[in-house]
Amino acid sequence: MQFTLTDDQAALTGAIDRIAEGFDSIPTEFDGFHLPGEALEQELEAGGYFDISTVPEMGPICAALAVERLARLPCTAEIALSMLVRPQVGDDLPRPFALLENGRPGRFVAGAGTLLVLDGDGIGIAHPAAGDTETVESLYAYPMGRLTGAPDVRPLSAEETAKARNWLRVACAAEMAGLMQAALDATVEHTSVRKQFGRPLGTFQALRHRMAECAVLVAGVRRLALQAAWSGDAGDAALAAFHAQDSASKITYDLHQMFGAMGMTLEMSLHLWTYRMKALSSELGGLGAQAASVANDCFTADNPY
Amino acid sequence: MEFDWNDEQRTFRATVRAFLNDNLPPDWEALAHGPGSSAQSHFSKQFCAALAKAGLLVPHWPAEWGGRDADPWTSFILAEEMWAAGEPRGGQYMNVNWIGPTLMRFGSLEQRQRYIGPMARGETLWCQGFSEPEAGSDLAALRTRAELVDDKYRVNGQKIWTSYAGLADTCFLLARTSEGKGGISIFLLPMDTPGITVRQIPSIIGEGDIHEVFFDDVEVPATAMLGGEGEAWSIVREALALERVGIPRFALATKMLHRAVDTLRKESRFHHSAQVQAARAKAACEAARLGSYSIIDARCNGQIPGPEASLVRFGTVNAERLVSDFVVEHLPEALSGGDPVMLAHHQRAIVAGIASGAAEIQLNLIATELLQLPREPR
Ligand SMILES: Cc1cc2nc3c(=O)[nH]c(=O)nc-3n(C[C@H](O)[C@H](O)[C@H](O)COP(=O)(O)OP(=O)(O)OC[C@H]3O[C@@H](n4cnc5c(N)ncnc54)[C@H](O)[C@@H]3O)c2cc1C
Repeated sequence: MQFTLTDDQAALTGAIDRIAEGFDSIPTEFDGFHLPGEALEQELEAGGYFDISTVPEMGPICAALAVERLARLPCTAEIALSMLVRPQVGDDLPRPFALLENGRPGRFVAGAGTLLVLDGDGIGIAHPAAGDTETVESLYAYPMGRLTGAPDVRPLSAEETAKARNWLRVACAAEMAGLMQAALDATVEHTSVRKQFGRPLGTFQALRHRMAECAVLVAGVRRLALQAAWSGDAGDAALAAFHAQDSASKITYDLHQMFGAMGMTLEMSLHLWTYRMKALSSELGGLGAQAASVANDCFTADNPY
Repeated sequence: MEFDWNDEQRTFRATVRAFLNDNLPPDWEALAHGPGSSAQSHFSKQFCAALAKAGLLVPHWPAEWGGRDADPWTSFILAEEMWAAGEPRGGQYMNVNWIGPTLMRFGSLEQRQRYIGPMARGETLWCQGFSEPEAGSDLAALRTRAELVDDKYRVNGQKIWTSYAGLADTCFLLARTSEGKGGISIFLLPMDTPGITVRQIPSIIGEGDIHEVFFDDVEVPATAMLGGEGEAWSIVREALALERVGIPRFALATKMLHRAVDTLRKESRFHHSAQVQAARAKAACEAARLGSYSIIDARCNGQIPGPEASLVRFGTVNAERLVSDFVVEHLPEALSGGDPVMLAHHQRAIVAGIASGAAEIQLNLIATELLQLPREPR
């Protein structure tokens, strides 16, 4: 047990931090449902960052740290699946990656190089051609798309499916951790400044405690996500995704509440994080499916203590 | 980053488990009503003495005082295993965690010689006399007075909620020697001093855990003061920093959760809604466990844990609550004659957000020190 980064890992997270700093702001004229991060994506691609998980000195833990950090940005690009799932299912597969779950619209589906097609319990791989997908207007703060064509789907073996599902869960949890942190930071900032009854809202204990409880959850989600990225264990991954999706519902509600009406505006941009969290909450079968896997994989005969 | 144990840590945990296996009586689970119970307190003297002989009572203490300067992981692994086993050290865990180390740091030569040896040999029980009827969360409001009369202090007042007081040999007592926060002093007070009356308070949390302690003209030699007059606040702050993560409650909570799930599975009662709740409880236990480890890791790196410790403490309260609620909903028989360890766990769990400071105080610290929100008006 030790939680400090090696020099290589620290250098990597430092580099990710520096990249992130360049994308930390929202253009003043912006008022969309999501903020596309093409330039961020290009910079990550050019720097080879989508492959850090395969570098022995870095590994998936570094990819998870990068995903968490970059999810805190207001803009969004397909990062998590490329960094955490692609290296596990085939690092020669074209990115961007997207998840197509039971035929529903999904994040980054339009323009995806590789689709992970999740149908019931199975997962297959498809490479949609240009006309096979289209974009969908959506409240979620991701570019959403749906499949219109019928590309060939190559089913993964049971073992590959389990692995893909694991890492999809790790990706979900790591991304959630960053989104939650950013949304909480924004709320702390807002309630520190916004005054009512002659004092900042952040001085009211009713709100302070709710923010503190959110902070407890965010810290837990982050730790479980990192543990799952480190171990690659099915139980750890299911638990991390469960905790992320479970916590997201309380956190998104609480944080929007503390922003008041302002939080409903596109100008305030809180939705850029909370409506990514909502999209992620619905994925991989949602809470119920993660719980069933936790029940299976975490409560084995090999009891702790 | 490394989320696994090294060989030395694994071996140490195995050693502790083997010790527990060899030294807990066969009927231990029926006996383990909680650290404060008289059965457990009496057993703890024999058990801790054996632990001490095996070098497992105070491994993290300096060699001078019977330890081997082991790192914080060693004492934490030990604490996890002990708590998961129902805390066979009884109230002596306090000696090991913070009373002994605080005496080493602040005690006079005479105090160290008198008290530390018996602690290191597992022979003695202490109690912590902080809270009072009018001073709970607001501890600085305490009123118990110690007045200097000639060369002795005369103590008058009342403590409440004092764990282990009924059987304790010595009290780590806070009393007022003048006004204000800076007017509180610490006394190391033998519990057989004339003028002390202890009354156990019947409760839903089991036997021996909470008491009232009355002090009527109790005479204490000036040499019983720990540190200088008025130094209690700074000493206690430092002492409790040693305890920042607190008891590894997640260990017993996790064990009980797994036991409950095993039982439900065997009886085909582990249906979907129970699975969702079990997952929620398990996630909270894991979050508390990893959070605690991050504090221990920081201590190993020579850092003084900051407000992150409050995140962990509140996370631990969540874990205790979710596990005990899970058991009540899905295995309610545990609280009526079912499993004595689950009952004892429930009784420990429901005080997690109260004993050693209300959970809301942790939230206040998180809000102010970690999130850096503007302070509440006073
Ligand atoms: C099992 C057990 C063992 C204990 N053992 C000991 C012991 O050995 N020695 C000892 O000295 N004490 C002991 N205590 C006492 C413990 O330290 C106190 O219970 C604790 O500090 C809270 O004080 P209180 O109970 O007076 O609650 P109060 O201070 O009356 O608070 C009641 C509730 O009000 C809320 N509250 C209080 N202050 C605030 C605030 N600032 N902001 C928001 N909400 C607030 C919290 O919800 C709190 O739980 C023990 C308690 C228990 C339950």
